[in-house]
Amino acid sequence: MRSTFLDHQWKAFWRSKNKGGTIATQLFIGFIVIYLLGVAIFLGIGLEIFIAKAFPDKDVFVVFNGLILYYFAIDFLMRMQLQELPTLSIVPYLHLRIPKRKIVNFLNIRALFSAFNILPLFLFLPFCFTAIASVYSPLIALMYFIAIISLVVFNNYAALYIKRLSIQHLKLVPIMLVLIVGLGLLEYFKVFSISAISNAVFNYIADHPFAALGFTFLAVAMFIVNARYLRNNLYAEELSSTESVKTSTDYPFLDRFGKVGAYTALEIKLILRNKRSRSAVTMSLLFLLYGFLFYKKELLDKDNLNLMLFAAIFMTGNTISIYGQFMFGWQSAHFDGLMANKIDIKDFIRAKFLLFTLFSTFTTLVACLYGLMNWKILVIQFAAYFYNIGIGTIVVLYFATRNYRAMDLTKGSSFNFQGVGASQWVLGLPYFLMPYLIVLPFSLNGHPYWGLLALGLCGLSAALTREFWVNFLAKEFNKRKYKITAGFREKS
Amino acid sequence: MILEISNLKKTYGNRTVVNIEFLQLHAGETVGIVGNNGAGKTTMFRMVLDLIRPTEGAVRSKGELIGQNDQWKDYTASYLDEGFLIDYLTSEEYFMFIGGLHQMTAAHVTDYLLQFQDFFNGEILNKGKYIRDFSKGNQNKIGIAASLMQNPELLILDEPFANLDPTTQIRLKTLIKSLKAERQMATLISSHDLNHVTDVCDRIILMEKGLIIKDLQTTTNTLTELEAYFAE
Repeated sequence: MRSTFLDHQWKAFWRSKNKGGTIATQLFIGFIVIYLLGVAIFLGIGLEIFIAKAFPDKDVFVVFNGLILYYFAIDFLMRMQLQELPTLSIVPYLHLRIPKRKIVNFLNIRALFSAFNILPLFLFLPFCFTAIASVYSPLIALMYFIAIISLVVFNNYAALYIKRLSIQHLKLVPIMLVLIVGLGLLEYFKVFSISAISNAVFNYIADHPFAALGFTFLAVAMFIVNARYLRNNLYAEELSSTESVKTSTDYPFLDRFGKVGAYTALEIKLILRNKRSRSAVTMSLLFLLYGFLFYKKELLDKDNLNLMLFAAIFMTGNTISIYGQFMFGWQSAHFDGLMANKIDIKDFIRAKFLLFTLFSTFTTLVACLYGLMNWKILVIQFAAYFYNIGIGTIVVLYFATRNYRAMDLTKGSSFNFQGVGASQWVLGLPYFLMPYLIVLPFSLNGHPYWGLLALGLCGLSAALTREFWVNFLAKEFNKRKYKITAGFREKS
Repeated sequence: MILEISNLKKTYGNRTVVNIEFLQLHAGETVGIVGNNGAGKTTMFRMVLDLIRPTEGAVRSKGELIGQNDQWKDYTASYLDEGFLIDYLTSEEYFMFIGGLHQMTAAHVTDYLLQFQDFFNGEILNKGKYIRDFSKGNQNKIGIAASLMQNPELLILDEPFANLDPTTQIRLKTLIKSLKAERQMATLISSHDLNHVTDVCDRIILMEKGLIIKDLQTTTNTLTELEAYFAE
């Protein structure tokens, strides 16, 4: 039975229409997976050397021991965000002559097939079997191995269990959030330290190897709790959806824009009420942290702004490029309705412009906090902002008129390649290269700020001539209207 | 002429799915289209609504080519399938949105929906649900009510009776008949239910493999005639 289930899952994976479609997409996914595994193996094998380099004055084993629980704490948070519940796949089996026990078993095994469960093995095991085995003893290395595997299993089922609980008990979510933020703050203010605890625990294991079985015990207990919960709650309805009252909402500030405002309100609701769009936009907000990576004091002092311009454009316009790249596919499910109704396509496009402008203004205002580091950052960001709302929006919408792929909004957006087509692959090039075409002639001649001014002015003039671009985009759209609607009708 | 189709053809590869030489729809006329799966009913509707580009031929509404301008959208309302509903809105929000497209205020819409109380049977409004969480039949009701709300001169419905409960089917028939009498609304509906179409329509068009093979004014014999055709 179990092999039949797995066989069905295997077929479902390979035969799904949404798998990505194009060969390019599949190659890309394969490439990413291999790359990530490669990095993990590389890190794992070189861990001893890396630790010695990064913390030259500390003992390698202290750092390694401190790292383990830290890793699994972050791993747990990531799982809560990204790991999908393998539930809906069992619906076709529930009414058949299959014992519940087997279905639950299958769900539990299915849950193990996740990248989260493979990554730590590559990361930690090489170190266990080289450094620990040679310095301590093979037995201790083996017990480390068992402890780490147990932690993986524990995290796996604990994350799923809490996710399932929170689906049924919505109140759990804010409580969890407060707990996590609280723990994070305690760690940040050094009230206690996960790495110190981790270090103590694994030191103890090094002294008393069989203590590692404690983790195994925890993992088994978690597995049983999860399995029991599943068996008692094996109703597809309870596992996947929540009963909460949905209310109608209005956005009065959009009323002044008339019909354009109404279409924008429609799209804001789309974003907030669908899983995939919601996670795409939240994810793009996370990219606001890019500034910490890219804004470097030395570069700012030398007025070497090129790399930072990329970060600024990406941050002030990330919602445009990340959400906009799939346009109008977000609305594919009801595109026929939009087209058959009394909607002027120019208003429709104006609404997109309005939405992007709102998005970009918001992220730019948040990103202004980087101005506290250095005023020069503000200059870069505002030039980037004008580029985004002026030119970036046009680029994105132009590619939107060449996007024929329907989107399934019910799945999360991370590693979701459904609805990805040719236009998404090409879009990034003009979007991120064009600003350099404007800036580089100035900055190469030693006038980087004139370059930024030129960029800002170009963006501003494109924004001021928006009516022209609306007409242009409407014409482009009408040329391919039938192809777009036909493409959107081809759902999974 | 509220609708005129001439020489309309749609081919996919070498398969012709719709091939209609000539078809006229007068104001106030209720026309039913019947035919087995694959007869080309939905494809024809999509071409009439400018959602699919015809391979050949033209669709005119009040003498104007659809696709050239959007005039026809002012007086044409349609509901083909769930793809016409915006599934993440509540039913009220959807009605407001559609009403807004026709310059109706919120008060207008609420007022208008009062007429549909019977039709909705207490299942649609103030349910605190998004449209995607309604059952198929209730989604159907929302789509039909939203299209009727637009005060159309031409109403196009694809299999409106499917998924509806018997009470609602009968109410829908009464609704179409009364609107036709009240405001000269022309209706184009397709259906697999021969009883209902012959009951509600003045004229029945029978399609087979993209062709119109019969065009009948409804009489007492029509139902038997159609049943005889489909029994073959």
